[in-house]
Amino acid sequence: MNKLENKNNVSYKRSMQLKSLGMNILLILITVIMLTPLLWMLATALSPNTMIPPAKLLPEKFTLQNFGDAWFFPGKIGLNPDLTMGTFLMNSLIVTICITIGGIICDSLAAYVLAFKEFPGKNLLIFLALATLMIPSYVTLVPQYIIIAKLKWLNSYQAQIVPFLASGMGITLFRSHFLSVSKELVESAKIDGASDFRIYSTIVMPIAKPIIATMTILKAMWSWNMYMWPLIVCKKVEMMPLQVSIGFFQGQNVTQWGLLCAGMTISMLPLLIVFLLCQKFFVGGIQAGAVKG
Amino acid sequence: MIVASKRERAAYYLYVIPAFLCFGIFIFWPTVQSFYLSLCKYSMSSINKDPKFVGLYYYKNLFGSSQFWQVMKNTGVFTFFSVPFSLVLGLLMAIMVYSKLVKYKTFYKVALYIPYVSSMVAVASVFKILFNANLSNSVVNQLFMKIGLPKVDWLGDPQWAMFVIILVSMWKGLGYIMIIYLGGLCGISDDIYEAADLDAVTPWKRLTKITAPLLKPTTFFLLATETIGSFQVFTPVNIITNGGDPFGSTSTLITFLYDQGFEGGHMGKASAISVIIFVILSILTVIQKRMTDED
Repeated sequence: MNKLENKNNVSYKRSMQLKSLGMNILLILITVIMLTPLLWMLATALSPNTMIPPAKLLPEKFTLQNFGDAWFFPGKIGLNPDLTMGTFLMNSLIVTICITIGGIICDSLAAYVLAFKEFPGKNLLIFLALATLMIPSYVTLVPQYIIIAKLKWLNSYQAQIVPFLASGMGITLFRSHFLSVSKELVESAKIDGASDFRIYSTIVMPIAKPIIATMTILKAMWSWNMYMWPLIVCKKVEMMPLQVSIGFFQGQNVTQWGLLCAGMTISMLPLLIVFLLCQKFFVGGIQAGAVKG
Repeated sequence: MIVASKRERAAYYLYVIPAFLCFGIFIFWPTVQSFYLSLCKYSMSSINKDPKFVGLYYYKNLFGSSQFWQVMKNTGVFTFFSVPFSLVLGLLMAIMVYSKLVKYKTFYKVALYIPYVSSMVAVASVFKILFNANLSNSVVNQLFMKIGLPKVDWLGDPQWAMFVIILVSMWKGLGYIMIIYLGGLCGISDDIYEAADLDAVTPWKRLTKITAPLLKPTTFFLLATETIGSFQVFTPVNIITNGGDPFGSTSTLITFLYDQGFEGGHMGKASAISVIIFVILSILTVIQKRMTDED
């Protein structure tokens, strides 16, 4: 009896091991398939240029030439000899940093009074912040463009930054986090004579670090990858962010595949590095954003 | 509760002004303006002239044009294929990654999530090269020939072009769906599965009778948000098929809006399209609310 049970146990273990092995192999396969387009891009960027795009995932000869060529390519198509990928990288960085930091400040300031203070119109404002989540961005596109044009902001950083400085989701997330912070903490600071701005900047914001991390990631990812709006408001090459410039060069019938792939790799790399460094926050942030948004 | 003085209360408004000024100027006013402009003739080239009121002209024009219905159909086809397949594949991926049999979960989570973080512009450009029809030797066709399959004119054939658009969108979104489903799976108690193990439930039954029903709220959420997102697909079409090639077979509501408004300069017509998009998405949102409330 004992022997039989033992045998069963061993075969059970073995079947579990087999299952586990199968599952892992399957998942590795899926992962490789999912990453193939990106691996192909990287391999092509690292291979010498060929007439037809190579159907390989590993470069035969390794070269960094394409990255240099791609970097200086924008200056060579006869628009402006001073242009490099650096111009677009800089544009994207400026826009992303301004939207992220400015947005977090605007959202958290509003959320602070909406969480802790009583004043006429407060409920209306909370309602309006939620209402912004219901309005798809494409609905406002045409009038937004007209406003930007009338402000004479076309081809500027403002046009790419200002419309996105506040977000209903940011206000909602900050407010619900602030509400979970004890109201007494804020009120006792008030009794001690601290000003509202001081309470906001030295007590409330430091406690809100997780939400700040989440919002930084969501906003940075969103603004780095934003495409349609800058495509509309930036017709001047010098002002284009990376994404628009990639679309632009891709549309110039470039057939230097290695160069194109190197350019695309450069456009993805900054965000990918941030993602790999803070992947913990990314996953949590996306789940939080999904629940509230 | 400390009663705030009038001056202090006035200061509260300073905190909300930056955000709500931004909402007012760039969200609420444009929303109202969209409805008004949809009733006007207004051209991008003469933006300083006043819009000329034409009533429902553009709506009649749109509903009577075959192009509009083509675009609606394309958007519908895109949504109908991309959403259900993504949800099923995303769920299966989540179940596998969540399984106790799998080690290095974080590795898979991160690796499978990378497409979602990548920029759609770059990713769509990659797919364009992989499937490009102008090259008789696109990467996919090279592979097809190696294994003895016939060459396909991927981006020149209307159906295949739409297939490529759907493929790239699904590929990019799967990681997100997996992460959301993983969140849902964490909420299911292990006891249920242990009880199922005692009853020797088959994996198929486990999936269809236990996991899927318990994940219904997550599925509803994803179904609604993914459908709403799919109705707004723009970038892959803009990059891969130049906004709708071949013969408008991949153009969607948003690329249509972009073409009419920002390539053609017909601001009034584009506004009418955006109002129609707004109505469609509002209906979808109401349905979502109904479905989740019933749950």
